[in-house]
Amino acid sequence: MISIRSTGRRRRRAFTALVAVAAVSLAACSSGSGAKGGSVAQGGINGTDDGASLTLWTRAPLELQANQLVKAYNASHKNQVKLTVVPNDDYVSKVGAAAGSGGLPDLFAADIVYVPNWTKAGLFQDLTGQINKLPFAASINKGHLTAGTYRGKEYVLPFILDLSVMMWNKTLYKAAGLDPNKGPATLADFVTQAKAIAALHKPGVYGTYFGGNCGGCGVFTWFPMIWASGKDVLSPDGTRSLLDSDTAKQVYSDWKDLWKSGAVDPASKDDTGATWVGPFQQGKIGVMPYPASLLSTVDKTVDAGVTPIPGPDGGGSTFVGGDGIGVSKDSRHEAEAWNFLSWMMSDDAQVNVLAANDNIVSRGDLANNKYAVKDPRVVAINKVAASPDSKTPIAVNFQQAFNAPGSPWVTLLRDQVFNGKDNVAQDNSAITSVLGQ
Amino acid sequence: MAATTYRVQGARPRSAGLTGLALRTPYYVLTGGLAIIFLFPLFWAGIRSVSPQPGTAQVHGWGMGNYNTLVHYQSGIWQFVMNSAVISGLTVVFTLAVSLLGGYAFARFSFPGKNVLFMLTLAILMVPYATLLIPLYVLLDRLGLQNSLLGLSLVLTMFQLPFATFMMRISFESVPRELEEAALVDGCGSFKALLRVLLPSVRPGLVTVGLFAFLAAWNDFITPLVLISDSTKWPLPVAIANLRGLVMGVVDYGATEAGVAVLALPCIVLFILLQRQYVRGFMSGAIKG
Amino acid sequence: MSVHPPTTHPESLSPPGAVSSGRRRLGLSRRRRLAGWAYATPTAAFVAVFFVVPLLLVAQMSVSDWGLFNGDQGLNAPHNFSAAVDQRLFWPAVRFTVEYTVVTTVILMGCALGLALLVQEATRWNGFLRTAILVPSALGLASASLLFFAFYNSDTSPLGQAMQHLGLANGPVSFLGTPGHALWSTVALIVWRYAGFYMLLLLVALQSISADVYEAAEIDGAGVRQRFTRITLPLIRPTLALCTILCVTGSLLAFDQFYILTKGGPDNSTLTIVQLIYNAAFQGRNDLGLAAALSIIVLGALLVLNIGQFRWLRGKED
Repeated sequence: MISIRSTGRRRRRAFTALVAVAAVSLAACSSGSGAKGGSVAQGGINGTDDGASLTLWTRAPLELQANQLVKAYNASHKNQVKLTVVPNDDYVSKVGAAAGSGGLPDLFAADIVYVPNWTKAGLFQDLTGQINKLPFAASINKGHLTAGTYRGKEYVLPFILDLSVMMWNKTLYKAAGLDPNKGPATLADFVTQAKAIAALHKPGVYGTYFGGNCGGCGVFTWFPMIWASGKDVLSPDGTRSLLDSDTAKQVYSDWKDLWKSGAVDPASKDDTGATWVGPFQQGKIGVMPYPASLLSTVDKTVDAGVTPIPGPDGGGSTFVGGDGIGVSKDSRHEAEAWNFLSWMMSDDAQVNVLAANDNIVSRGDLANNKYAVKDPRVVAINKVAASPDSKTPIAVNFQQAFNAPGSPWVTLLRDQVFNGKDNVAQDNSAITSVLGQ
Repeated sequence: MAATTYRVQGARPRSAGLTGLALRTPYYVLTGGLAIIFLFPLFWAGIRSVSPQPGTAQVHGWGMGNYNTLVHYQSGIWQFVMNSAVISGLTVVFTLAVSLLGGYAFARFSFPGKNVLFMLTLAILMVPYATLLIPLYVLLDRLGLQNSLLGLSLVLTMFQLPFATFMMRISFESVPRELEEAALVDGCGSFKALLRVLLPSVRPGLVTVGLFAFLAAWNDFITPLVLISDSTKWPLPVAIANLRGLVMGVVDYGATEAGVAVLALPCIVLFILLQRQYVRGFMSGAIKG
Repeated sequence: MSVHPPTTHPESLSPPGAVSSGRRRLGLSRRRRLAGWAYATPTAAFVAVFFVVPLLLVAQMSVSDWGLFNGDQGLNAPHNFSAAVDQRLFWPAVRFTVEYTVVTTVILMGCALGLALLVQEATRWNGFLRTAILVPSALGLASASLLFFAFYNSDTSPLGQAMQHLGLANGPVSFLGTPGHALWSTVALIVWRYAGFYMLLLLVALQSISADVYEAAEIDGAGVRQRFTRITLPLIRPTLALCTILCVTGSLLAFDQFYILTKGGPDNSTLTIVQLIYNAAFQGRNDLGLAAALSIIVLGALLVLNIGQFRWLRGKED
């Protein structure tokens, strides 16, 4: 028993040391974030091209365009960009986890509807000064710039514009006796034409398709149907949902009609967005709202026609979506990253890389570039992109309300189309409560 | 070992010859069907990974096209295999080292706080993974170990400690004291006694602990999902899970099946080679509660 | 069967009077105690840094406004807890997790017991069977989930095709497309993966029953069913209870299989509590405080459940 005291003291000392280690680790400031390697403006208006290695993350849906840009940049610059493509569903959590531990790449693209949230959270570095120095600053796509503006400062540039358009399969139209050169001019046309294709009863062929379990696909393709009639889907401050308007109800009932009549591919019901663009490319769908960014891919297998998305009373609108891109807060190569961004906004990249591959340019002053005018479909897309009825919705909690798996928006559209529940008001207020969080 | 000896319940003399076979055929059919149910999905996945499927890299004919997809996916399958190997290797080394010393301490020594520490170690089992992962995410960041294979391995080691420490403790306790006493009388310190005399005796326990640590680290999914954000550092399970959503329009099931084959192969090989340790590990699960 | 690990302290009892040099060597010397502490230090370090500290941290986080990006913003108790319970999906997730746990435990225990009874004789055929049933246990849960993700693909699933041939379905079977199907498909996966493990535990219990007991019962005229219900079941009850505890705990904490197979869908019908925690932290809500509060709730529920189960087990054991 005599030895207890001395061992007790030693034990206490050891224990104290252990606690001290723990306390120190708790009190230590978080490491890894707050890179202060330099500033974005360090290399001037064009940034710095000194052979740095830059990392860039993008979502899978825009892999095609991202690859085109990165390849062209790497071929003509000393800096080399390493592109990581992330599945759409995992992008938010991947960015979140990286941001929380200071592990964001130099550059990362963000679905434009997430940009307000991530800008507010401070994930991007301030680009206002640099953007203002660009000679064409005034003609950069307003919707995207505004999404990435917080308290008057601009943090995000448009990366790749993706617009939703109504696409139809001309071959199937011919077979169904429809005019292959004219798509639907109103929502009612859309319903009739889709049913006509379904009436062909070709094995595996259906009138239309949509991502029935995909919130992001839903906002991308259905919002323009409401906008085309001049109606809004969100309150201007992005905290209230207006998706219980009469126009919206008309849209829901048209889709329900299509589903009940069997004109919609049954696989739509479970589609979480992983495969919603596949069937049209395989020539199995007559007409559906579709991403314009996949026009060149579709052209490989389908003879496709393009028209703006109509509403119940006609008109035409599009969802000006796609991704914005910025320099992350964790980047240590800000000037080099800006070099990529300023090149990306230049005439060379916009026309010779994006437009040359049937993509939409992010600058209004280049809308009638030499490539665009060659394809009347691209002209139509550019035109509708500039229409006042085409919008980029802005809300800080957009992702939680609409895109997140199992969001209240997905509940609403599934209730309306599949589950036959007539509770629009209830589902809509669920959306409002998430928006207002 | 318990797994290999079984008593017969209510035994009757078995009818020999054809009559017996005829009577027992339904039994063989039933149980054969059971065996097929359990083995079929694995074989199916293996065969599908090399067979022709639309929507994959292996549309016509048999071949390794799907495995080729894996090689060219992001950083390439070899990178992910290497990551998994490093993580598993580190976890095994840490777990063996810590549990060897810890088991020795608990089995052979008496020191203040011994029971508290042992109970605390076992208490890790009572706390769900999810409860610990959120603060671990923050803690690793503060220690500078965020997004690192080393940090992940340390966390995985901690999760292995209850089983490993318990396993090593009972391994040490089952070694007769005379062995150690003889070594100590000869003038060895306790450490030398551990290395020279006790280590060979507890080797079966060590193999079991190492095996389970390896399998747990190789197969863990949620921990790297939360703690690793750099896709070049992904271990295999996370990489294969992410691979599915990569191509817009089609889910590449062929590549998924190939990924499962790569994931499952070491596990099945280890299972077959070390079946006895495997079973023994499960049994201690029964005893420890 | 003892639930707690054996605790032996032969060296802490210094024999009164009689002294043998061997015992003194291993006795209560200070060096010995220090050596003990030295060997236990790595364990203590791991437990302290990676277990105790995170526990304290999660408690702190659950009462703080702690964002994923902006970190610790100060205390806000009990806001996180009320927000956690008020979530749109909280009670649905709890309901589903409990439903899934009950279904899985009942089916898995039944199958494991049945299999154990089936293969308990020591024949070569049974040895092969046992190995076959145990092979899926070699896979990780994520690997098994990925395998079944491909296996359940509507277009090419062999199970779906078999069902069509047998006339059980007309057209491709959607295994994961409706809430009911998704639940049963996942249960099938879990049974496939874990039946071998629980079968093994029950086999040990079964073979610890002496054959004499059965012979005596048979002599007394007990039938097969009576032997099962009156002898087998009571004697394996401790192991059965242990297996149940393990299965319940594992099912309540289900994550991997749902994340990979359904991501909580369709319509959030297969959302489990742990998925809620993960989503709150990383899927856009980015609220670590909320996630911490949810995980404390889960911890509390599990502690209550486990303690209750142990008490019940000990109560029966007499």
